Amino acid sequence: MAAAKPDSNFSPEIVALYCRQCLDAEERPQEGARPAKGFNARLVMLPCSGKVEAYQMLRILEQGADGVLLVGCPENACRFLVGSRRAEKRLTHAGQLLDLVNMGAGRLALKRAADLTTADILALAGQLAERVKTLGPNPMKGDSL
Amino acid sequence: MIVAEWKPIPELLASLKGHKNVLLVGCATCVAECAAGGEREVLTLAPVLKMGLKDQGQEVNIITRTLERQCEPEFVEELAEIAPQVDAIMSLACGIGMQLVAERFIDLPLYPGVNTTSLAIREQPGLWTARCAACGDCMLGETFGLCPVARCAKSLMNGPCGGTRKDGKCEVDENTECIWRLIVERAEAKGRLEDLVKVRPSKNWSNSGHGGPKRMLREDLR
Ligand code: SF4
Ligand code: SF4
Repeated sequence: MAAAKPDSNFSPEIVALYCRQCLDAEERPQEGARPAKGFNARLVMLPCSGKVEAYQMLRILEQGADGVLLVGCPENACRFLVGSRRAEKRLTHAGQLLDLVNMGAGRLALKRAADLTTADILALAGQLAERVKTLGPNPMKGDSL
Repeated sequence: MIVAEWKPIPELLASLKGHKNVLLVGCATCVAECAAGGEREVLTLAPVLKMGLKDQGQEVNIITRTLERQCEPEFVEELAEIAPQVDAIMSLACGIGMQLVAERFIDLPLYPGVNTTSLAIREQPGLWTARCAACGDCMLGETFGLCPVARCAKSLMNGPCGGTRKDGKCEVDENTECIWRLIVERAEAKGRLEDLVKVRPSKNWSNSGHGGPKRMLREDLR
């Protein structure tokens, strides 16, 4: 049976986990829901991207978010030296597990950047939202079975 | 530590077919150290199983718990309250812990979430290698602290097989040191190479698994 084409006509919910060290020094850290054009974002600030565990990303998806964006520092600028490298390994591991259950590793994304504003983070979340649209809504929302 | 590893996800999903409420239970001791069945792995596997079953059209509620030690009845008892709420248990403990849970909650099907594979150390971050095979007649005193039972692919007792690679690795696995090369090197370094050619009494295999299930009895502790 050919797989049905995923429904791309929806407003993805993206949870953006970002390292506070990635922010511009002038930028006030922001958290919580942020509606954006064509998607909804929820910002969660971390002390370091290396603090995130695979299970946290998986649990966010299990609870219905359409995508998880992880924002960490450039590889050689991590204040905890290996934090953003660890984050990448955990995200890869979580992605492999997602592929095994047909959720698609594409629902996870890691971006490395410095001196960000909240608007920059939302723009990165928007890029993931576009990719997630090709995967369709998260089946865990309970509305696509 | 006792080392275990997750069973393949499709196998785990197949075992939970038809169940509605599952208790996923880990152990905070050995299997946590080898990153297979501690709290973190329980929390990782639970959403994976839920998503995988949903993909197959099955809704499942997964309750997670991690016991301090799944191989001690006192800790297993902590599950008594939750057991009536579930129709199956999946355990991420070693085979020892799993059996205790299965015995305590005899009416519930118990599914192994991991395969128990070895007695090993964490040699590097993310790499565990076998050190002991619980042979029941430890010979480390004769082999300079290196175990040929667990660490030689052929469990040879009297020196290398002859297939040791030029770089000193085992002929069976290019990533594993030939343990007999290491034993010889250590003997040489200690100036005791001749100890290895001494005729030793034969090893007592009857105290290993070959003698049937082990039973250790200590009257002074009963
Ligand atoms: S000789 Fe036997 S008991 Fe000693 S470390 Fe090797 S397998 Fe374990
Ligand atoms: S190469 Fe060394 S470790 Fe490998 S089987 Fe031969 S003796 Fe054993």
